[in-house]
Amino acid sequence: MKKNDSDCHAPDDVTCQKLILDQLLAYEDGSMPESARQDFRRHIDMCPPCVEFLKTYQATGKTLKMLKPRQIPVDLAKAVLSFVRARCEKEK
Amino acid sequence: MSAEPEPSDLELVRGIKAGDDQAFEQMVDRYHSRVYSLAYGVLRNSEDAEEATQDAFWTLYRKIGTFDESRKFFSWFYRVALNAAYSRARRRPAIPTVAIEEYLPKFRSDGHMLAPDVRDWSVAVEDEVAARELAARAEGFIAELPPAYRDVIWMYDVEEMPADQIAETLEISIPAFKSRLHRARLYVRQRLSEVTRGAAQEKVAG
Repeated sequence: MKKNDSDCHAPDDVTCQKLILDQLLAYEDGSMPESARQDFRRHIDMCPPCVEFLKTYQATGKTLKMLKPRQIPVDLAKAVLSFVRARCEKEK
Repeated sequence: MSAEPEPSDLELVRGIKAGDDQAFEQMVDRYHSRVYSLAYGVLRNSEDAEEATQDAFWTLYRKIGTFDESRKFFSWFYRVALNAAYSRARRRPAIPTVAIEEYLPKFRSDGHMLAPDVRDWSVAVEDEVAARELAARAEGFIAELPPAYRDVIWMYDVEEMPADQIAETLEISIPAFKSRLHRARLYVRQRLSEVTRGAAQEKVAG
């Protein structure tokens, strides 16, 4: 199949599939060893689809970072203590 | 005068085992927020999450004698908390979850991609209003995930729990944790891509 400029031109040793499904998280969280990192970058340099993929994956990470734990109901600790004490009384 | 050092989890556990009410109060004080948030991730409803929190502490109170002190307390108790939330979730009508594999990126038979698989919407996160909307959608997408993926992404990306604590609580390996987290994020990415594509099309049409 003839490739366009916007297709992947990286060699087959690191495929887009391997890069995206198996390596991307380690690349993003910094746990990937330096040599593998270089292979990763080499692929990216020759692969416009993976560049685009990386951008939206990173944007997903940024979006998820905006989510914060829910506001805790006021007096939740008191409610828990009352609940447990009431159950204890009931079971006596 | 130096302040009294905070008792460790294990000291509180031993206090509760010995019937010390104050130790139980301190444990509630220390863990109620985290337990509530964990439960909320499963139940997505404040009232249910509050009741699951009460259930979790009631189980803690009754079952503390079974806690093996060679284990870490938090992983035992988070497991108790998740079970309390799962138990409440089972009492409600089941919410259908997605088949995550169907949303993972597709590749050619040689493992490469041709053109980009989705439109690049990454610029949207630079705009605060758009980013907040996307975050709200992302929270909904997390809720659609099968529990094994939902709990991992919720605990890591929203609760910001350390990876090793999550793996220990869920009794899975670190590689399994990473695999689930990555697939959950890929799912959220795919769904956000669909939402942003829909919004772009509406703009063109409108």
